[in-house]
Amino acid sequence: MLAPLSWLKEYVDITLTTKELGEKLTEVGLGCEKIIKTSDDTIFELEMTPNRPDCLSIIGIAREIAAIENKKIKFPKLGHLSKPKKILPLTIKTDSKINPRFTGIIITGIKVGESPKWLKDRLEEMNQRSINNIVDITNYVMLELGNPIHAFDYDKITGHVMVVSQAKGGEKFESVDGIIYYLPKNAVTISDKEKIIDLCGIKGGKNSGTFETTKNIFIRIPVEIPNLTRRTSQALSLRSEASSIFERGVNTGGTIDALKRITDLVLELAGGEIASELYDIKNEDFKPWKLELRKNRLTKILGVEISDKKILEILEALNLSPTLKKGIFETIVPTYRNDLKIEEDLIEEVARIYGYNKFPKTMPEGIIPSVQIPYFKDYKLDEKVKNILKADGFSEIYTYSLIGEKDLPEGMNSQNLLRVDNPISRDFEYLRPTLKINLLKALSQNKSNFEKINLFELGKVYLGKNLNEAKETYFLSGITNNKNFFEIKGLLEKIFEDLGINENPTKYIEILDEGIFFELDYLQILKNRNSNKAFRPLPKYPPIVEDISIVADKNIKTSDLVAEIKNQSPLIVNVTLLDQFENSRTFHIIYQHQDRNLIMDDVEKIRKKILINLKKKFNVRLKE
Amino acid sequence: MQIKNSAVSMIIEAENQKELEEIKLQFLGRSGRLTLTLKGITKIPVEKRAAVGQLANEVKKVIEETLGEKFLNLNSQFLIQNKQSIDITNPGIKPDIGHLHPMTQVLNEVVDVFKSIGFQAADGPEIETDYYNFEALNIPKDHPSRDTQQTLYLDTRNSKVNPGEIILRTQTSTMQGRVMEKIKPPARVIVPGKNFRYDQVDASHGFEFWQVEGFMADANVKLTDLFGTIEYVLRKLMGESVKLKFATTNFPFVEPGVDTYIQCSVCSGKGCNFCRYSGWSEIMPAGMIHPNVLKAVGYNSQEISGFAFAIGLSRLVTLRYRMDDLRLLTNPDLRILEQF
Repeated sequence: MLAPLSWLKEYVDITLTTKELGEKLTEVGLGCEKIIKTSDDTIFELEMTPNRPDCLSIIGIAREIAAIENKKIKFPKLGHLSKPKKILPLTIKTDSKINPRFTGIIITGIKVGESPKWLKDRLEEMNQRSINNIVDITNYVMLELGNPIHAFDYDKITGHVMVVSQAKGGEKFESVDGIIYYLPKNAVTISDKEKIIDLCGIKGGKNSGTFETTKNIFIRIPVEIPNLTRRTSQALSLRSEASSIFERGVNTGGTIDALKRITDLVLELAGGEIASELYDIKNEDFKPWKLELRKNRLTKILGVEISDKKILEILEALNLSPTLKKGIFETIVPTYRNDLKIEEDLIEEVARIYGYNKFPKTMPEGIIPSVQIPYFKDYKLDEKVKNILKADGFSEIYTYSLIGEKDLPEGMNSQNLLRVDNPISRDFEYLRPTLKINLLKALSQNKSNFEKINLFELGKVYLGKNLNEAKETYFLSGITNNKNFFEIKGLLEKIFEDLGINENPTKYIEILDEGIFFELDYLQILKNRNSNKAFRPLPKYPPIVEDISIVADKNIKTSDLVAEIKNQSPLIVNVTLLDQFENSRTFHIIYQHQDRNLIMDDVEKIRKKILINLKKKFNVRLKE
Repeated sequence: MQIKNSAVSMIIEAENQKELEEIKLQFLGRSGRLTLTLKGITKIPVEKRAAVGQLANEVKKVIEETLGEKFLNLNSQFLIQNKQSIDITNPGIKPDIGHLHPMTQVLNEVVDVFKSIGFQAADGPEIETDYYNFEALNIPKDHPSRDTQQTLYLDTRNSKVNPGEIILRTQTSTMQGRVMEKIKPPARVIVPGKNFRYDQVDASHGFEFWQVEGFMADANVKLTDLFGTIEYVLRKLMGESVKLKFATTNFPFVEPGVDTYIQCSVCSGKGCNFCRYSGWSEIMPAGMIHPNVLKAVGYNSQEISGFAFAIGLSRLVTLRYRMDDLRLLTNPDLRILEQF
């Protein structure tokens, strides 16, 4: 929203410097993005939050400045609506459910022409095109007071009847800009006896707009319904200054003042005279409402003691007509502050005008909750795992959760993936079920600059063929182009050991053309971790160590042999493959008793058992 | 000054370690020339003492540094290791350690900072319901706020889910409802997490971004507590001298609504491309939890109050390391990663 300083000064006295004012406006919630200096004026570019449609008008911004400066605003002088000398006929049928307020008046005998310079200049400062004096005045008063206005060419209203209704869907409508639209169902429109002449709250129709030939006009100042306006505007991708205001909520009590203002200006700049009574069709009264603010609650929530005098000053400066009775501030909220509905809204008003940056800063008191919360996550565990990977030379990457059809490998059908209905592009349409795709891409990307590449990601994947089966989990995955299978197996074994996970990591490793890849369900394996570490006392008695060389068929797995050997006695504490050459393998065996010295006899017995069972199970014999 | 000059020239001419040791004693020892001068400072008029003291300390520093360099030089290029001479000026052989992503590093810091004030970390689903993402946060259907969030909806075909009911979460505030409905106050929670929005990718926006949500609810939580907590956290994360300012803003789930700006680290507030010439960067929207949100989780809004905030983690990382493009954070180029 643009706000020229010269225009603002018409409604409020400003003592702050331009820079100070810009900062203060930001502080109270009207984000000052830019201050534009032209040859004879200064224009503020302000960003409004959706709860302050009243600030989409110069008077609204002036009111904020008045609150900041603790001054009163000077509302533009409004004339009386004189009694019409002659009355032109017009029947209005409306429904307050779709059009809560319909205010209007007919003016006859006007001369449509060029706007005076001051009007053109003001509109130009607001980035608005000058069209003709009537259209310009409707835009001017909308920008000034915040109530959008439309001027119809009275003579083009066939049958002198205006009916407000909702479109059935598909009706053709040519806007005043000359663009054809096909209206969505439920769009609120005004029709005369034969045609649709207005898309309410959004754009007027070309067939009833005000042009040079217009002699008589009907001025309409409505209250439109935010959701209806929004849905129609979105369906047509058509927005206007007016629709922005209606979407957020127009000042329901402001139509009469706006009508008086525009009537004054029209008569002044285009001549003519009033030719009807004031139309004001509504079902409810749109009056200000009462809202209370308890002093003790204000102090409690803010955490700072503000004097009654200061609070009254702030509420008064905001035009809330406050009175203080027994510790309760009673306010009367004007209709343009539709955002002030509950006590907390008033608390914000006092705090923001007082100035957030004036508040002291405290640390929360109260007991620190010690019970573990639901959804608790132990980040230290992730840190531990990541640090082991880092120590082994891996670097961490973060990649997108969303992937495209073209990224899917052979055999992965997009039908089995969770899909976004409105993706920003086809490159980011599916939720990844694996981290492999992005890791392979990353490996490839780094090839031109690095020889040794080790990358990992601990990230979310999304499993399930459809939303009923959807499951999110964390995968821990990595790729290397220089480490071998056993180095990766050892790395995972180390991680499992550190976390207390008793599992064989072999199944998580894949040998690819590009290198070795591993991927495991991180949350799943953590479920089985044993985090109870207890110290194992050092053995009191020395172990006996021996190597056994056996001959076994190459096809027999070492792990099976090792398992079988270990099985023979609890006194065997470790078995490792020392050497392998063709058919023969040498195993390094450590025997240990906790409570006594082992003697060769003990070991002999066990060794015999080992060889017998190895022969029985695997047809293995001792090497000569 | 005299002392300095004679010391330095003597050091330069020294031929071995023993000589250097003697020079050191001569100037810096208990009865060394510089030491005695410093001891005699009381004989100098008061006004001149500070200047003389400072000069003396500077001279001491210079002498020590020159001694050190010469020592190294003399000992020289050739130490004996393993019966072989080695050239110690060659670069060291660095161990082949990898790198943690800057997001992880900053996130771990954030979790730690909040831990120090009693906040536990939680983690929740990214595939979320309309209820927790909007309704429980006082954003009913048709609320204009939903437009600014620009939601990504999930395809509901082959399932019993109604279209539009399941989305990718647009904010980590979803966890306010999920956590608080399961526990009684007091609550102190942070939720780091990834969020999704319908947003084209450019230097300062993307469709995936990280936030750290935080909220606290208890019997006596005040606005001053929110300001204090924000300042505490940002000072710990961005340095004690970081400059902050607060402004009013509006979200349906907080009232009063607060926005936090920190001074742009790239231009120190002067204005640059990174901060769109404003000198400030938005970093932490926040506010007092709206009574409707408290009601939705079953808390009595007259007895319990709270605050909530969301740190833009991706933004924080780029500000911390003066990176000018968010896309750097999802670029797996090792030339980026190895800088951290």
